[in-house]
Amino acid sequence: MRETWVVGAATNRFGRMAESAREAAARVALKAIDRAGLTPKDIDHTFVSNAFGMAEHQGHLGPLVNTALGIPEVPSCTIESACSSSSAGLHEAFVHVAGGFADAVLVVGAEKLSHLDTLTATSYFATGADFPFETRNGATFPGLYATLASAYRNAFPLPPETLAQVAIKNHANAALNPHAHFQKAISLETYLNSPIVASPFRLYDCCPFSDGASAVVVAAKEFVRRPTSTPLVIAASVRTGSIVDMHDRTDLFGLPASRAAGERAFRAAGLTPKDIDFLEVHDCFTIAELLALEDLGFYPRGTAGAATREGETARTGRLPVNPSGGLKAKGHPVSATGVAQVVEVFEQMNGTAGARAVARAETALTHNVGATGGSCSVHIFRRG
Amino acid sequence: MGTTDAPGHSIADYVTGYTDLGRLRGFACPCGFKTATWVLACPRCGGRNLTDVDLSGRGEVIACSVQHVPSDEFLNEAPYAYVVVDLAGGGRITGWVAGVADPADLPLGTRVHFHPSYKPGVQFVRD
Repeated sequence: MRETWVVGAATNRFGRMAESAREAAARVALKAIDRAGLTPKDIDHTFVSNAFGMAEHQGHLGPLVNTALGIPEVPSCTIESACSSSSAGLHEAFVHVAGGFADAVLVVGAEKLSHLDTLTATSYFATGADFPFETRNGATFPGLYATLASAYRNAFPLPPETLAQVAIKNHANAALNPHAHFQKAISLETYLNSPIVASPFRLYDCCPFSDGASAVVVAAKEFVRRPTSTPLVIAASVRTGSIVDMHDRTDLFGLPASRAAGERAFRAAGLTPKDIDFLEVHDCFTIAELLALEDLGFYPRGTAGAATREGETARTGRLPVNPSGGLKAKGHPVSATGVAQVVEVFEQMNGTAGARAVARAETALTHNVGATGGSCSVHIFRRG
Repeated sequence: MGTTDAPGHSIADYVTGYTDLGRLRGFACPCGFKTATWVLACPRCGGRNLTDVDLSGRGEVIACSVQHVPSDEFLNEAPYAYVVVDLAGGGRITGWVAGVADPADLPLGTRVHFHPSYKPGVQFVRD
């Protein structure tokens, strides 16, 4: 395997885009290529993710992005894996570059849903679950994670404001992030005054419907002679799968795909959780951050809530978790999210994270889940 | 069902089962796993000797969330409880319980049974 780097990264501001996913994808892609000190002609392959492109009556986004970048002859394909689409694209890029099939690969994810009403957007989000066996029985996307929360809290009781602390922490981080959808801190009172969406979740337990686009350029160390930014060395790139239907799994206290991905990624990198300086984890709902920290081996089952309440996972704590604000507050433009987590690692390791910089950024882990864990990506990065 | 073209029930058969016939159709594996989910091989052990079975309509709520913002098919039902039910005799299934606004009204452990209806999905009622 060749040593493989992330050499350029860019994102737009998440929230509400006036332009289409196609335009936003091309724009961030060009920025990421520029930041890498490369030109579009250096790109050998493009992986695009746009899971809900049908919301804009557009599929086949890869050649449109490449055409906009002046490289229509470059091969491309669309990678769909629900909310983990673009981290799945990153894994494909890693496989191509590490395996010697490409020298430089563009990975871009974009989503635009803000022109849909809440009902339609809710129905789109639910398509990542099992339609006849979950959704058709009344599941919504928040409802599925909420059932996990109900089973988890029954087995491992959480003090009532623990989930709120996850939301408050991630909003505080997003308030310092110019890319974030919600650049505002929230109080416990604001959280408690928000309506119940799917018990036990209030509105502020849930990630928003966001538009957004993010891109990274992955290249072989030997291809990039003079990197113009500090590259990220990809120490592990792992994809896992599991039974989609949560009720068919052996337990409801976490996500088996996350557990497997964490174990395999640490083994591949030759590292343990103690070696990680900060993480970006898949907090589509507040409970999901606690489950991720336990599934990935950072905390024993049932203890991530207490650690959160004690401030260990705050940006200035022992183990900063989601310094970007996470899906919860930075926003969750489904297909951009996986790559956006890597953009955060890139900015932290390049010292360009500004006010939200973490104390130490030598090693980092990103964790991105497809819907309720039918698929999962974990990447570990070292500062190059 | 030893081969992929053996006559196991389809997803359409499963839906017709609960909408028209009052049956919860599923698959059972010799390893002990039972599921309502449509499969050709056991998702736990990979075994292909699955048999068509009727799952019990009685069970216990093991996970529950009251839905206030439903998707389109349940627009007229909110608030309702989306539930995971551990069925007597094995297997788990998802479904919903009408008219639940407060999760305290349907604590985990509540015993429920399948209630065939003309509404969408697999509907359960309390015993």
